Amino acid sequence: MSGIELANVSKSFDTTEVIRGVSLTVDKGELGVFVGPSGCGKSTLLRMIAGLEETTSGRISIGDRDVTRIEPAEREVAMVFQSYALYPHLSVFDNMAFSLRLARASKAQTRDMVQEAARILQLEEHLDKKPAQLSGGQRQRVAIGRAIVRQPKVFLFDEPLSNLDAELRVQMRLELARLHRRIGATMIYVTHDQVEAMTLADRIFVLRNGMVQQQGAPLELYNDPDNRFIGGFIGSPAMNFLDGHVTAQNDAGIEVAVDGADGQRLHARLASKRVTGDRVTLGLRPEHLHPNADGLRVRMEMVEALGGVSYLHTRTPDGTELVVEYRGAQPPADSTGIAVGIDPANVVVFDSQGRRLR
Amino acid sequence: MTRTRKIENACLTAITMAAAVLWIFPLYWALVTSLRSEDHVVSRNAGLLPDQFNLSAYIDAIFNTQLVTWYINSIVTALIITLLVIVSGMMCAYALSQMRFPGRRLLYVVVLASFMVPSQALVVTQFILMDQLDLIDSWAGIILPQLIVPVVIIVYKQFFDAVPGEMREAVVLDGGGDYTLLFRVYLPLNRGITTALAIITFIMAWNQFFWPFLVVNSEAMMTIPVGITQVNDAFGVRYARLMAVALLAAMPVALAYLIFQRRVTEAVMISSGVKG
Ligand SMILES: Nc1ncnc2c1ncn2[C@@H]1O[C@H](COP(=O)(O)OP(=O)(O)OP(=O)(O)O)[C@@H](O)[C@H]1O
Ligand SMILES: [Mg+2]
Repeated sequence: MSGIELANVSKSFDTTEVIRGVSLTVDKGELGVFVGPSGCGKSTLLRMIAGLEETTSGRISIGDRDVTRIEPAEREVAMVFQSYALYPHLSVFDNMAFSLRLARASKAQTRDMVQEAARILQLEEHLDKKPAQLSGGQRQRVAIGRAIVRQPKVFLFDEPLSNLDAELRVQMRLELARLHRRIGATMIYVTHDQVEAMTLADRIFVLRNGMVQQQGAPLELYNDPDNRFIGGFIGSPAMNFLDGHVTAQNDAGIEVAVDGADGQRLHARLASKRVTGDRVTLGLRPEHLHPNADGLRVRMEMVEALGGVSYLHTRTPDGTELVVEYRGAQPPADSTGIAVGIDPANVVVFDSQGRRLR
Repeated sequence: MTRTRKIENACLTAITMAAAVLWIFPLYWALVTSLRSEDHVVSRNAGLLPDQFNLSAYIDAIFNTQLVTWYINSIVTALIITLLVIVSGMMCAYALSQMRFPGRRLLYVVVLASFMVPSQALVVTQFILMDQLDLIDSWAGIILPQLIVPVVIIVYKQFFDAVPGEMREAVVLDGGGDYTLLFRVYLPLNRGITTALAIITFIMAWNQFFWPFLVVNSEAMMTIPVGITQVNDAFGVRYARLMAVALLAAMPVALAYLIFQRRVTEAVMISSGVKG
């Protein structure tokens, strides 16, 4: 049984198409994350699932029920908004009880369910307070509590942590992961922070221009990006890209002359055939690059020493930036020349349109 | 504080005090006069200071005029006007602000336009309408034309517009409709505005003279401001009683002002902010 299924879903505002034929499935109990750059349509897609935006075409099912034309309140979804949207004139208890009262739940039942949610979220001492008297993290928890008491089939979160400071964000992220494991409900979580996506998701959907670019488990996307955009988007610090052309190839892979690097070569493993002279882009993860006397000679520009790990910001002769992760107590000093190498098996190859070559 | 600054402050205080005295004196004089006997009011010995505490003018006003009837007329009409204006205003504003229906913009333009038409310009048509509806000389006749208070709609709409959209969506997802939204979220969120608008509407309705004066013929239907003029005409000038009636007429508004001082100021500022 599926949690949520979107079949060829599209959305236009007037004449601009914002969501273009999205099909995806989030299994029951899974936490799916929509991630992508600002304006790619994450919120719009989430609001379509909630029923807050009308679906122009396509079909949305929740728990095998077609809800495309069903009112938001009848979709059995709960949403946690970025601004929390708590009712400022009501106490924490009344905020959480609001939907139960609208549904005419009995007094005892309302009290029990709110108490239970408050216990899960550690809000028991705050039930009588107004939202204005709470900290950001507590407000966030009230917003989640309001969703929990409704026992929805699906929880929807739209950038719920973006109003919190960095430390609290990390903490709430863990709490959310724990909450998901505990109540085991289907959840969709929208964020533009790929670290949040990586740490929370069972399945990530990377959106761009209203289309799903790639979907998969976090590490699948990290290790095996379908295109250059995904490679650059997932992972921090980001994947490095070097353009070049194929100079030779054999069964094991290709040899690539890197642009503007005085004819220096890199090797990449590749099964498909290329023709000598083909333009390609090589994707190199910072942690796969390491100092190697026989490797690519680059100029050191700056060292970011974080303790156990350092990031060497270097440039190739033509000025293309290359970030190298360095593990060791003493990173090389700034402004020295350095040569870096990489295992050909770790090099990801894209064609000139940014499509993945395997 | 420097010396010049001190002098400046002293001057300002003096000017403010003078202005305050200028404002307060008529009230003071009305009070002093109303507490004198009619004979004493016009006698030579009557000075500026209070010298009598004589309630006969008040007793006279209450028992020998229709003051009590006028009071009842004023209170009933002003309360009904306030209630209807606030309820219809908030519902209209909610629809204009939150609901999507064809003609919404046009409707708002009409509200804004009616706000710009001075009420005097409508008096003749309204009078004819009331006449045709056979409502001359009745409470309904006094009340109906005073229900058109576009400023209430405009103020409410502005405050409803400012409520974040996610609040509305949260309620929709929680299963609430428009009545839930209006009465359980938008109104409680803007409780201060409701109080302020209600007070100012009440005061305006209470002080309304021109329309009730036109639409009412019989003394039994008069509101206080209209009634006062009768006290004058019917019995010749009796200053003490006149002042007593005037003070009694102003009392509810003055009391409302004292109790809701902050709200009234707020209300005046809100509605003049819209006008300005
Ligand atoms: N009500 C609307 N009317 C017209 N266009 C809209 C509307 N809502 C969103 N859009 C457009 O749809 C596109 C997607 O918006 P959306 O809010 O879904 O982006 P997002 O991925 O959530 O971005 P962000 O990360 O900044 O929140 C944007 O280009 C936006 O301008
Ligand atoms: Mg968004």
